[in-house]
Amino acid sequence: MEKIIKNAKKIIEKTKKLYGNSPDLNTRIINIRGTNVGILFLESSSQASTISDFIVKGTLYVKANKNLFQNIFESLKNNLFNSQLFTIKDYSQFPYFLSSGFTIIVTDNSNEAIIMETRANLDRGVTESTSEPILRGSKDSFTESHSKNLGLIRKRIKDPSLWFKELKLGRRTQTRISIAYINGIADNKKIKEIEKNLKKINIDGILDSGNLKDYLVENKSVFPQIQSTERPDTVSQALLQGKVVIFTENCPFALILPNVFIDYLHTPEDQNQKSSNITFTRILRTVALIITVFTPAIYIAVTTYDQNTIPDKLLISLAIQREGVPFPTFFEIILLTTIFEILRESDLRSPSSMSAAMSIVGALVLGQAAVDAGIVSPITVIVVAFTSICSLVFTDIDFMNGIRSWRFIFILAASVLGIIGILSFAIIWLVKLASLENLNTSYLSPFAPFSKESQNDAIYKAPENKILTRPNYISKLNPHRQRRIK
Amino acid sequence: MKKLSIIIIFLISITITGCGGYEELNNLSIVTAVAFDKTDEEYELSFLIANSPKAQTSAKEGEAKTTVYTGKGKTIALASKDIEQIVPKQIYLGHINVVIISEDIAKDGFLKIADWLLRNPQTRKKFYLLQAKDEKAKNILKIVSPLESFPSQSIATLIESNSETKSIATSVTYSNFISQILEKGYDPILPSITVKGSVKEGSNEKNLETTEPESYLVLGPLAIYKKDKLEGFATEKESWAINVLNGEAKEVSYNVKYKGENISIMASSLKSKIKLKDQNNIEITISGQGDIYNINNKINIQDYQEINKIEKAWSKSLKKDLSKVIKNIQKKYQADIFGFGNLIYKNKPKVWEKLEKSWNSKYFPNLNVQIKTNLKIEATGSLVKTVKEETK
Repeated sequence: MEKIIKNAKKIIEKTKKLYGNSPDLNTRIINIRGTNVGILFLESSSQASTISDFIVKGTLYVKANKNLFQNIFESLKNNLFNSQLFTIKDYSQFPYFLSSGFTIIVTDNSNEAIIMETRANLDRGVTESTSEPILRGSKDSFTESHSKNLGLIRKRIKDPSLWFKELKLGRRTQTRISIAYINGIADNKKIKEIEKNLKKINIDGILDSGNLKDYLVENKSVFPQIQSTERPDTVSQALLQGKVVIFTENCPFALILPNVFIDYLHTPEDQNQKSSNITFTRILRTVALIITVFTPAIYIAVTTYDQNTIPDKLLISLAIQREGVPFPTFFEIILLTTIFEILRESDLRSPSSMSAAMSIVGALVLGQAAVDAGIVSPITVIVVAFTSICSLVFTDIDFMNGIRSWRFIFILAASVLGIIGILSFAIIWLVKLASLENLNTSYLSPFAPFSKESQNDAIYKAPENKILTRPNYISKLNPHRQRRIK
Repeated sequence: MKKLSIIIIFLISITITGCGGYEELNNLSIVTAVAFDKTDEEYELSFLIANSPKAQTSAKEGEAKTTVYTGKGKTIALASKDIEQIVPKQIYLGHINVVIISEDIAKDGFLKIADWLLRNPQTRKKFYLLQAKDEKAKNILKIVSPLESFPSQSIATLIESNSETKSIATSVTYSNFISQILEKGYDPILPSITVKGSVKEGSNEKNLETTEPESYLVLGPLAIYKKDKLEGFATEKESWAINVLNGEAKEVSYNVKYKGENISIMASSLKSKIKLKDQNNIEITISGQGDIYNINNKINIQDYQEINKIEKAWSKSLKKDLSKVIKNIQKKYQADIFGFGNLIYKNKPKVWEKLEKSWNSKYFPNLNVQIKTNLKIEATGSLVKTVKEETK
């Protein structure tokens, strides 16, 4: 804590020095009855018209009626028009408020400073979600504005027990982090642990919620245990389930934790569509998951070790297709999957105007031409295409990448040990997933440990009026979400 | 350190166990059919290889070409080594569909050659076994069929579709056949196959291009074995009756003479039940339903009494036919293909001990077989009256 000296001119000089005489630091000194009143604001982050309309006008009003007031500081405090006005005694907080777009007023006769909100509108408006598009459901998404994000949640959950805990992280960025939860539903231990983990962070800058992920997860796994979403409805649903959500300033993605494996097979739309059809959709997604992890590995195992398992006609057709291909099956698969992953990566990073050219190169050159040139066999292209399409069912990029790593592990296992390799690595995979735990929630809940009560919204989706309780693996507080309708 | 040792153990276990049965598909010669022949001294073994390299270009048009390789040797194993010297790729026996044995092999005794395929760890043992009739087994592999891509496939489909409908053949797998030989009081049967037309024409690809193939494969009557030796071929009518008695034939068409005219009955779901009364008396019950599907009489088929009479006529003539066939087999072949002896062995093992030695020559031919029927006509097709009745 650094005291504010009772000299407006000196404070302004000091602040200018602090900012290296940056031209966007605007200052003004108004003399009222021999007392200097200093106004400081950063023109880049605050709205100049608000300052002229309310602060300068207010100050000049005090100056014009200077005989009415005894104490300049008190009269300024009472006569300025602003909804957000407070005083601070600590000079070291000045940079934070200035950079956030606040205006600071200091006087000669007080060691306090008046802070007023005059933020410039530097955000875009609430737009439609691009990374998680939806057919049926609300279309809005989070933006870079912290208060707008919190507002989108408040708008949905009007209960006052929706609480936000605020932290400032990053020595230089001073990023606002809000931990949101519903008091009475969310587990207090989890909130405390998250808070403890976040407070330990001592870094120069936090620019995105993604930077926090590694501090919040204890175990190292390729599978994500934290979901990041830009959909307010997903966040609200999670809050109602008793999960904890972390908002980061200037980041349109909120973090939801703890997340379990089965959550990645759900979509926000599941709540909005007819429940009996959702069960089928979820089974499809499960099948897609199995296909995308195992297909290339099984293809390698079956064609190079266990030919016995293929039906006669298929085997002969596969054998004829492979005739003349110079590479071993394993290399063929690795080649094509790698090419696909590179293609996907480059498609993500390139501007949309280039993606048409890329898809032509991908489809024609890599698919058709590679087969015609005899570098790969047509069946390999089918296997890789099938695998890739199934992996696109999942929207979470971290989850997709987790699947990808295990796909490569299975391919390696199949190419050295065949079906036995796949089986033994499948067991290792299962053990690995079952051993994951975040905030006392097992990753494979509600299957391992098995919970019968939570099965009504895992793969099977019960009708909404039959789901009476919240998932019990997240929080045991206040388990009932609705009353049975008689 | 702990992690390192786990990694080392893992690497060792992978490298020491070797690459297992690693084999790329294009290094395999996939054998889909095997034929056993015998010349005076040597065995002749033929493999039908499905994925010969020349097939590659034509595979896209939906047809594949096959190659037959033949090897000779004093034993089957030596003959197979002989083939391995000719075929450049690894021979793969995991997908054998069909095995064909020649008459010479069958007369010499099948068990002499049975071991090699049964012992091979690659083979599935569920392939069809067929008896070549009037032709070398090797020649049967050569005939290409216009409807199926591979000769072996065409033989397999032929058996599968015919054993249920046409009913003169039956499907016998290799392992079933051997277990029937080994079973007490049982003599096996095999479907037979032969070539119509000349082998030379049939093995030429040009055979596929004509609308009426010059030569093709035909399923013949059943081959009757006594233990592992071929005893002879049944006639077509006998084959049919054997299949009915064994309960293999499911859809059977039957002609009944009624009031001097033929009535065709399509029997579906025929079942036969063999019951042992005592060591000299066997009772066979045939039950099932049939539909009339061709009738040219002036019969009022709406009258249930008439239908009853037709049923009775059907029962009577079926009984007559079947018992005639059983008698013939008892006397002519003396081969217990219905497993009557096996029934005695299972129910009265002590009696069987006495009968076993001279079962085929003495007791089986003199066995008294009674046939009972329980047949019903369920439907008369989509016409209510007969056409002849309408013309009145």
